[in-house]
Amino acid sequence: MADRSVPMQAQDKLAFLLSLVPFLMEHDRISVQETADHFGVKPKAVRDAVELIAVSGIPGETGQYQHGDLFDLAWDDFEENDQIVLTNLVAIDDAPRFSGREAAALIAGLQYLSALPENADRSAIDSLMAKLARGASALPSQVAVEGSESDATLALIRQSVSAGVQMEFDYLNSRGEHERRRVDPLRIESVDADWYLRGWCHLRKAVRTFRIDRISEPVVTTEPISFHAGEVSLPDTLFEGTADDLPVTIDIVPSALPLVADYIPEGTKTTQVDGRVRANILVSHYHGLKRLIAGLPGMVTVVAPEEARRVVADWANAGVARYADDTQ
Amino acid sequence: MSASAPLAKVPVEERLFSLVLALLATETGLTKSDILSTVQGYRQRYQPAGDNANLERQFERDKDDIRDLGVPLETIDTPGQSGNNQNLRYRIPRGVYELPADIRFSAEETALLGLAAMVWREGSLSSESRRAVVKLRGLGLVAEEPVLAYAPRLRVRDAAFEPLRTALDRNAIVRFAYLKPGEAEARVREVAPLALVQHQGRWHLHALEPQTEITKTFLLRRIVSAVTMTNATIAAPVGDQTARALAELEQVWQSHSAEVEVVPGSDADTRLRKRRGTETLPDGTLRLHYSDANIFADELAGYGPEAVVLRPPVLRAAVRARLLATAAGHGAPSLVTSSLDAEPYDGEVARG
Repeated sequence: MADRSVPMQAQDKLAFLLSLVPFLMEHDRISVQETADHFGVKPKAVRDAVELIAVSGIPGETGQYQHGDLFDLAWDDFEENDQIVLTNLVAIDDAPRFSGREAAALIAGLQYLSALPENADRSAIDSLMAKLARGASALPSQVAVEGSESDATLALIRQSVSAGVQMEFDYLNSRGEHERRRVDPLRIESVDADWYLRGWCHLRKAVRTFRIDRISEPVVTTEPISFHAGEVSLPDTLFEGTADDLPVTIDIVPSALPLVADYIPEGTKTTQVDGRVRANILVSHYHGLKRLIAGLPGMVTVVAPEEARRVVADWANAGVARYADDTQ
Repeated sequence: MSASAPLAKVPVEERLFSLVLALLATETGLTKSDILSTVQGYRQRYQPAGDNANLERQFERDKDDIRDLGVPLETIDTPGQSGNNQNLRYRIPRGVYELPADIRFSAEETALLGLAAMVWREGSLSSESRRAVVKLRGLGLVAEEPVLAYAPRLRVRDAAFEPLRTALDRNAIVRFAYLKPGEAEARVREVAPLALVQHQGRWHLHALEPQTEITKTFLLRRIVSAVTMTNATIAAPVGDQTARALAELEQVWQSHSAEVEVVPGSDADTRLRKRRGTETLPDGTLRLHYSDANIFADELAGYGPEAVVLRPPVLRAAVRARLLATAAGHGAPSLVTSSLDAEPYDGEVARG
């Protein structure tokens, strides 16, 4: 698999060429810029592709790629006005099908998104998945994600965004404190089974990330929002560091590395200590840390500082105390 | 552009594109020597009287790359000459290449599919969904802007996933070492993958054990070796294997339930209550479903004193053992040394 002579890049370019031709056939005349915007690529990528299409074709009767066997382009219009007008077409009449794996990737993605309010209409989703399967040149590969019920909190968030009003909810932070929050919802994010709301928090006067499963009593208010999604730049990483973060050294059993990968910033230097991986991470406070560590028993251990070790040990001991009657 | 022209190197995508065009345009198919001697990108390197072994190997790889994109490249035997490799003819039948005319997507559907593609940010699923989106865009539709911005993400962190997915598409039998909780050593399994499914946030392999004809489900997390693909294959299974795999996992999940007491208003209370299928019993205790006692014990241990397992005893013992281990690992005196493994469910569901 790793030893491919053709870089993935060439395959992606081929997919683009095969999709671009029918698109250009539908548009008698279209600008490079419009085409680039539509496909979400750089204008140069469109220009390169169009130049290649224009000199490509079939060997033809003579096996010599004669003029009529090639695509052709209104070159002047292309070079002077950046407009694409194909003047001769060969071989391709229509858009290509999806591969079985491509269809499977989209179908599994749709299954994963079944909690979204947009997907509340299950029969519409089922017919969309069936359409993808029929539009594939091979049976979609057998990869699936368990669906979930449409989420009521997500539906309310969507409602507040479309009405342009603030949300209010009870939020329990990882320190265990309850607060009533007023938020302008900006974006719903998820990582596997965990869903988050990114929003402008009127209490903190800053963008905050809220775990959906820690939100209770959500209501859509009548108060207009102060910020729209387009007005606030949101970083791509879910967990952002701040100057107040506390450094902690942890040891990780190698097989558990993927489980804590999110907490280890990219480029972090790690060392091997007694068959474990030692890394320095930053946490916002030890209360979040103790839950993380206690949930990865035997897999991750805090090495330093001593106070962090104590917080984790206290948490675990408090838990053990709840089983005081058990022996053995 | 004659065959003898001095060669500027033909870019890979130009060669692949020219191959697709040539094979789409032929009804009767082209032989390998037709292709190598006339198609752009090959013909420049073709030796009419010489050895074209390198070029033939190139063609074999190109075929795979084109098929990867879902282009149906077909071989036909020349009548009366079957078995003669040199007389095989290649073509791309239009009917299977082209998206059927009735398959078009609304702006709303296009938006949803764009979101579905976003879910994958790594590995082969990511590049494949990106390509699917390019094909969708080729249909000319513009996606409707969603009301609410989304950034969904599904990760595939198990190293076994990619090789299993490749084996799945080839119906190939694989070999890997699997560590069942409670067993000291991993055992090597030889199975034919039938489906890869994500249930409760974790990837599972549904597979057939050829010797016993029994289907089993494995948790990818417990595959402790590299996955090796053997040369043996099975006949392509019929029917929706993923639905069957998910139904079986769901059955396991339904059949395991635990009663857990939570501190009112705590993180455990808030989050466990929101778990799928949670029931609140008259005394305020939560009844929770789970698939795997060991994994659920990890999750519950994270809540520390906020959650206490009342039953089943095996889960109770498993959570307590985890808390003891964490306390011991962080400097508190260890009261006992016990195995962290809970017994009954082991992530492997056998079905006779």
